[in-house]
Amino acid sequence: MEFSPVLYIAIPLFAAFLIPLLGKVSKTLVKLTPGIVFLYLSYGSILLFPKAMEKPIVQVVAGFKPPFGISLYYGATAAFLITMVTIVGFVIWLYSYKFIIREPIEKYYMLFMMLITGSTGILLTGDMFNMFVFLEITSIAAYSLTAFLRDKDGAEAAFKYLLIGSFSSTFYLLSVMIIYSYTGTLNFADIAGKIDLIPPMAKGFVLVLVLVGMGIEAEMFPLNGWAPDAYSQAPSPVGAVFGGIVVKAGLYAMIRIVFLFFKTPEVMQFLIFMGILTLLIAEMAAMRQHQIKRMLAFSSIGQMGLVIIALGIGTMGSTSAALFQMFNHALIKSLLFFAAGYLVFHSGSKQIEDLEGLGYDKPVTSFFFAVGALAIIGLPPFSGFWSKLLILVSVAKAGDIAILLLILTGSVIEAIYYLRAVVKLYTRKEVPDNVRRTPISGLVAMGVLAAIILYVGLYPGVIEKWLAPAANNLLNAADYIKAGLF
Amino acid sequence: MLYYIGAISLILIGMYAVLTKKNLLKIVIGLSIVDSGVNLLFISVGYVKDATAPIFSLPSLTADKMVDPVPQALVLTAIVIGLATTAVALGLVIRLYDHHKTLNINKIRQLKW
Repeated sequence: MEFSPVLYIAIPLFAAFLIPLLGKVSKTLVKLTPGIVFLYLSYGSILLFPKAMEKPIVQVVAGFKPPFGISLYYGATAAFLITMVTIVGFVIWLYSYKFIIREPIEKYYMLFMMLITGSTGILLTGDMFNMFVFLEITSIAAYSLTAFLRDKDGAEAAFKYLLIGSFSSTFYLLSVMIIYSYTGTLNFADIAGKIDLIPPMAKGFVLVLVLVGMGIEAEMFPLNGWAPDAYSQAPSPVGAVFGGIVVKAGLYAMIRIVFLFFKTPEVMQFLIFMGILTLLIAEMAAMRQHQIKRMLAFSSIGQMGLVIIALGIGTMGSTSAALFQMFNHALIKSLLFFAAGYLVFHSGSKQIEDLEGLGYDKPVTSFFFAVGALAIIGLPPFSGFWSKLLILVSVAKAGDIAILLLILTGSVIEAIYYLRAVVKLYTRKEVPDNVRRTPISGLVAMGVLAAIILYVGLYPGVIEKWLAPAANNLLNAADYIKAGLF
Repeated sequence: MLYYIGAISLILIGMYAVLTKKNLLKIVIGLSIVDSGVNLLFISVGYVKDATAPIFSLPSLTADKMVDPVPQALVLTAIVIGLATTAVALGLVIRLYDHHKTLNINKIRQLKW
């Protein structure tokens, strides 16, 4: 059967609505469905990935040719990020298999599938309003998953996320409206061609609306207040979903719009500035955290700042480095959340102090946490090393020493608090004997991630060769317009 | 023009409610007012004076006598989405009330804001 990009949206959506029905038959079926979906989607990625690298696949939905109908744009960048989403999603499913034991599991998997639908939709769509719809699907699923544990902090974090999130989508909808009122079209490629029809004042306003609207999902400073609470109160695999999937999709949407419509030096300068602020403030906040998951959340914000800086530099090298960093961060942060999830479970406390001695009691989980920590700091031989190196090289090439120094400062702070946590883990201390073990599915999930991180770290070429077409696709607006309108 | 002013003031009223009110339900109502404002604004973008629905029901009806149907289709979607968000928000408010026995946001803040 021919695999078409629309299946990336249709299959998870179908599975999401199938799961409650399957729940009536058997719980095992419910648990297995997401895995099958991800396997099928990765099969599709294997088929489509090489094609998309050469030439973007533009899929017309419902037979209306662009710019009138909704078109899906499966270009090199989208292919790269969707493959990443599939990998991370599969591993999160493996991990959830034994971690989410509390009822109602079919709701958990249903929301998870909705979230995947929304994120792949954001990555795929070539239509501005359609992106709003997928943004909302993602957010509504994310709010509900945040409150999944039914405790009071979860509900509070979810409510906070919902408040900020609905503002973000309102702003984005307003920007869609202004663009539509001036250009009369919603297709990204078509708008990009007609962007000069919008008067400069309104254009500036649209830019602010898009940056605020998508910046919230992309955790850009100062719009990231929702993140630490949502990450720390949601179940651990959901933290990985946020860091690995939702945020990446939001950032992609923001960057796609900015690069297509507003790519001027001033805007890029502004992106760099915001990136630096995000990076430094988040790293300093992470330093002060006592809860391990909040620390990971702030570190995730910091990493997004780093990616925004690299995207703001806007050269070929820095953009591919940014994409590489997004890929690495999705994998490494998921590994850290997985390990932290079981460490919290074993120690029975979210505080970093209480992790003392767990390195000897729970050697395998702690080992994976240490691997993740070293990888995210950017030590060889892990994959994080290469992406950070590439970002630093591209910043140095752009000739801005101040930015280079600021990034290094951020990295040093990051190294300090991660190493502090790892050292705590391996401080010897008598721990009461604990019979609970990390289940095998969790260990396999962490093992797979650690293996990928190590493999990419040893042979960065496997990813690097796809980065150039992906970055080119993101940077080159003219190609996008040509392909999008055929 | 009048429509724009009306819709924008609705958005501002809603935002004011969200930012200043302490009662969770009032905040949710504010969110919903913002939604309505945006939807009305969107509809007014496609409004044409003295025009009718974009259906070729009469032979004398030409395209310039019709309103723009695209914003209406989009707003229809946006209304449904707004409804879903409000429903989730109200669900969370119920959950918060169950745990805290109050709707005052100042008494609920346990996490750092």
